[in-house]
Amino acid sequence: MSEAKKALGSSLMTIRGVTKAFGTNSVLKGIDLDIAPGEVLALIGGNGAGKSTLMKIIMGIYTLDEGEIRMDGQPVRLGKPAAALSQGIYLVPQEPLLFPNMTVRENILMGFKEKNSELQKRLENHMRELGFTLNLQRKANTLSIAEQQLVEILRGLMREARMLILDEPTSALTFGEVQSLFRVVRDLKARGISIIYITHRLNEVFEIATDVAIMRDGLITLQGPVEHFTREMLIRGLLPSDAAVEALENRAVSETAVSGKEPVLQVRDLSGYGFSDITFDLYPGEILGIAGVVGAGRTELISTIFGRDKVLKGKVLLEGKDITGLSTKQILKEGINFVPEDRHYHGLFKIRSVASNTTSALLNTKEIGQVDMNRKKQNAIAQKYTDEFRTKIVSLEDLLGSLSGGNQQKVVIARALSTAPKVVILDEPTRGIDAAARADVYKIIHQLKETGVAVLMVSSDIEEVVELADRAITVFQGRINAEFRKNEINQDALTSASFGIVKKGGMAG
Amino acid sequence: MRTVKKIFARWETFLVLFLVLEFVVFGAANPKFLRTNSIMNALVNYISVCIVSLFVTMVLITGGIDIQAASIIGLTSIIEGVLWSDAGFNIWLAVLCAFAAAALCGALSGFCVAYCGVQPMVMTLGGSFLFSGLALVVSGMSATPAYQGISGFPSKAEDGSFVDFRFLGKGNIAGIPSQIVIYLLLIILCVWILHRTKYGERLYLIGVNQQAAEYSGINTRATIMSTYVLSALSAAVAGTLLTSNVNSAKADLGGGYTLAIITAVVLGGTSNNGGKGSILGTVLASLIICFLRYGLPLCFGVSTQNLDLYVGVILVAVVLGREIAGRRMISGLFRKLRKKTA
Amino acid sequence: MNKVRSLFKARWMSSLIFLILLFLITGIADPNFLQYDNIISCFNSATMYTLLAIGIAFVIMTGEIDVSIGATMGLAAAVTGLIAQQDGGIPRMLITCILIGVCTGIVNGLGVAGIGVPSLIFTLGTNSVIRGILFLTSGGRTVENFNAPLAGPANQVLFAGVTTYYVIAVILVIIAHFVTSRTRRGKYFIAVGDNPGGANLVGISTFWTKLVAYILCGIFAGIAGFVFASKYGQVMTVAGNGYEMTAIAACVLGGISLSGGLGNMVGAAIGAVIMSSIGRLLVFIGLSSTYNNTITGVMLIIIVVVDALTQRRAIENARRKRLLSRTAEGGAKA
Repeated sequence: MSEAKKALGSSLMTIRGVTKAFGTNSVLKGIDLDIAPGEVLALIGGNGAGKSTLMKIIMGIYTLDEGEIRMDGQPVRLGKPAAALSQGIYLVPQEPLLFPNMTVRENILMGFKEKNSELQKRLENHMRELGFTLNLQRKANTLSIAEQQLVEILRGLMREARMLILDEPTSALTFGEVQSLFRVVRDLKARGISIIYITHRLNEVFEIATDVAIMRDGLITLQGPVEHFTREMLIRGLLPSDAAVEALENRAVSETAVSGKEPVLQVRDLSGYGFSDITFDLYPGEILGIAGVVGAGRTELISTIFGRDKVLKGKVLLEGKDITGLSTKQILKEGINFVPEDRHYHGLFKIRSVASNTTSALLNTKEIGQVDMNRKKQNAIAQKYTDEFRTKIVSLEDLLGSLSGGNQQKVVIARALSTAPKVVILDEPTRGIDAAARADVYKIIHQLKETGVAVLMVSSDIEEVVELADRAITVFQGRINAEFRKNEINQDALTSASFGIVKKGGMAG
Repeated sequence: MRTVKKIFARWETFLVLFLVLEFVVFGAANPKFLRTNSIMNALVNYISVCIVSLFVTMVLITGGIDIQAASIIGLTSIIEGVLWSDAGFNIWLAVLCAFAAAALCGALSGFCVAYCGVQPMVMTLGGSFLFSGLALVVSGMSATPAYQGISGFPSKAEDGSFVDFRFLGKGNIAGIPSQIVIYLLLIILCVWILHRTKYGERLYLIGVNQQAAEYSGINTRATIMSTYVLSALSAAVAGTLLTSNVNSAKADLGGGYTLAIITAVVLGGTSNNGGKGSILGTVLASLIICFLRYGLPLCFGVSTQNLDLYVGVILVAVVLGREIAGRRMISGLFRKLRKKTA
Repeated sequence: MNKVRSLFKARWMSSLIFLILLFLITGIADPNFLQYDNIISCFNSATMYTLLAIGIAFVIMTGEIDVSIGATMGLAAAVTGLIAQQDGGIPRMLITCILIGVCTGIVNGLGVAGIGVPSLIFTLGTNSVIRGILFLTSGGRTVENFNAPLAGPANQVLFAGVTTYYVIAVILVIIAHFVTSRTRRGKYFIAVGDNPGGANLVGISTFWTKLVAYILCGIFAGIAGFVFASKYGQVMTVAGNGYEMTAIAACVLGGISLSGGLGNMVGAAIGAVIMSSIGRLLVFIGLSSTYNNTITGVMLIIIVVVDALTQRRAIENARRKRLLSRTAEGGAKA
């Protein structure tokens, strides 16, 4: 059906040859995409494929480098959000940007110039047509995420949106809420409103999308009406080209001998906020990869192990000793350290020196002085790590904010290793850093493994897990749904399992 | 070359130059300004602000603010007076009790800020009402009328010199007023705490990024709370010295110092967003304000009641200048980065 | 969830209940208090605090602070007094007071919203400067010996024991409340304090909103200065010192969050009445006025701590519920 529409040239938005690079890092490498009125285009792709960059260009938050975007066949310049709004494009972000202390009505009508009574009538019309029953007097901070999304959709409709972008709208919704969201999407579709629907969940694609597009490495690798595809075809589309897959799968598989060793970390039936019934062992000298999509509960799992949130059920044992529910300070002392996912929020002290940053986890030990701060020892430790990791700095007094992302990450890793931990937890260790730094980080991880440290690595970059992990588990909707031995780890299996389809060697969650 | 540049880029350098300029201008206008005795007197008159601002600096470095310290000055003073004169305590025991009370006050506010998540500004505003109120209540327990102040503290030896309790506020050590000696010792203590101990390092890290500090295993809440206790204790020191100096325990001592203390800390280069600042900066800033207040009336006949105007003008000019200069530096940095990537 | 909702809905309502409770407790301690005259004079004496509180409420709603209002009020009061000494008319005094407020507001607004100096620090500086200007205008002397026309209206009763000034203040509260809660642009104050990023996205300028908030704050402080001069008949150079803290406390008691985006004008007005009544209430309870600050401090601390704890719990519960719902769904499918 949608192909027929496109043949008639009635495409609402046409994207041709759009490229975008940040510095030397090219994120979009020539995107072509057509969206027809009333089309629900499911856009899927791994992390870092460039989906959000493309959406931000459409929304006018970024400007494109090359290429053009046409609306109704006319080229348009979408330089700022206001321009996109006036073209009838509206983005419903993953975390809605509402005014928490205002009522729903105020949130929807904020910023309009028309008369209140008129707006009210329009709002009521929209709500009736979609069958929304939302108390307009409620404060936004009492709304569930699903309700906040409805408010955002209403905001878009009030602005006469012709195209809505829904960015992973179901990632925080319950089953019932998902169903009512789907109903809304179908209604919008029936009214001729186009929707770009970004998702990680393949079953949703088949449930509500009319068309599907797969993005990988800044390109649309596959596009067409959804009835032309099967689940397996989509998963294949998410993988790198066949040649690359072969190269990866032909690499020598050398299994790390863990048999006979006692596990250093044992997690038993652990449940917390965002995950449940997690059980696994981690052996010394092993890298255990945890794969899954964003929002699967992996970060919540490991930060709970690190003492950042409450354990609801289950046990964590370190070398047989129960460390469940200890504070971060005590866990550090027991011998676990952590490289957080969000470097800027949890990792860095931007206006402190490299030396301060490297030794910040040692303040509870005697290694840099008893009560006094032994700057000599501090510098010696920092120097040791900058040499070892080839961190590019002018002096140890450099402020961390002045370093590049890769070098910042090396300092954060150095901080994690400075306490000589038995277990190192890495959350997305190479996010947002360049290729050279990435190679260095991989080398560091390998060295760690050789010295007998156990490494627990969460990564959304499947290739990274394939490259590094000795063993891997995938987490799907808060539960482990598959475990892979070294020779079973490949892109295909991990990707499927991350999206909830366990193919082989799996143990159903 | 690099180190020279670095020294000139530092805020403290600017403050030193400003202080020198003050001496040159005031000294030229009226040579009396340069008399050692008068200078020391000026400092003694302003010593409460100088002492308390040292420790309030630490609160600001962790990202908090403390507007209650001034009210604790009066509270300690009156507690000492009432315990000594009405309850018959030994004066040193009274001082000890007053310090304990001050620590409790600081702990209360610190606890609410660190563990309950109350905004520091609101909490210490409430604290300033409460503690100045408690001071009045304590004062009401005394037989001495509140407006008179409790006086007659143990003082003179037979030879007329100040001893015992009053030595703190009136005595001399090698020709230097004991208050100034205590101030110098406190400066050394603070420099050591903030710049030379692991505790000080923790304060900075918490101020820069509390979340990251938590991930480094730092007990951020207890540390934040401790800064409020320290600043309350420094207010107790100031209160004791003031009581000893004027030989009068009153509930409203130090009442008007709140804004002066914050001004000294901020002018000293400490950011109220946390993570930045130094003891040296605070010391220099409080000296600058102190000598401004001493020099302007002496050399230019400015009314002593209207000194706030000039201090205010300088504060406004300095923070505006720093903000604008800072912004230019940041935009310069961006330009450099853009050139690099191009 | 419902509990939280009703709690937030009733922020100013709980202040009102608190005020009534205070009155009732005092009434139990001494039934004489519950006479009409006593209660009405609690309100009448709140005129200045009411004006200051609603002025600063504009600024606090946007998430900033202004500690220079005490000095602005003092300056306006002194200038009013000087005009009165020259037999100037009341309109001239009022216009001058408002102009003074506009000027201080523009300076504060430009420094904070325009240049980006943290508001506490900047208004701390302007506080000293304004007080200095007050000193210069008054020549360092107490301004007194006004003419009758200024002192007259202060005690003028409009109806049923309510003074004209308080009626005017209440009218201003109602207007300010209507503007901030009903009009399109008036809601910008709350919006900017609530979510600056979101406000920008729907086309609200944070700079203009904050600037206007500071100007309004200055104007209200100016009017309060006029009332001050009229009421006390003499203006010392330290007039208005410490009033800023009382006004801020009134806002907090009235349910306005110092982080911005929460609260309304009626709450601020109720808070002002609480702040100005405490002294009177204590007299009836039989405590001396020395307990004034203690009670204020205890009240403030309890309110802000309870508020902080409930807010934090609400946010934390919402987060946990969201995370739990993810796994609940996974469990259902498995």
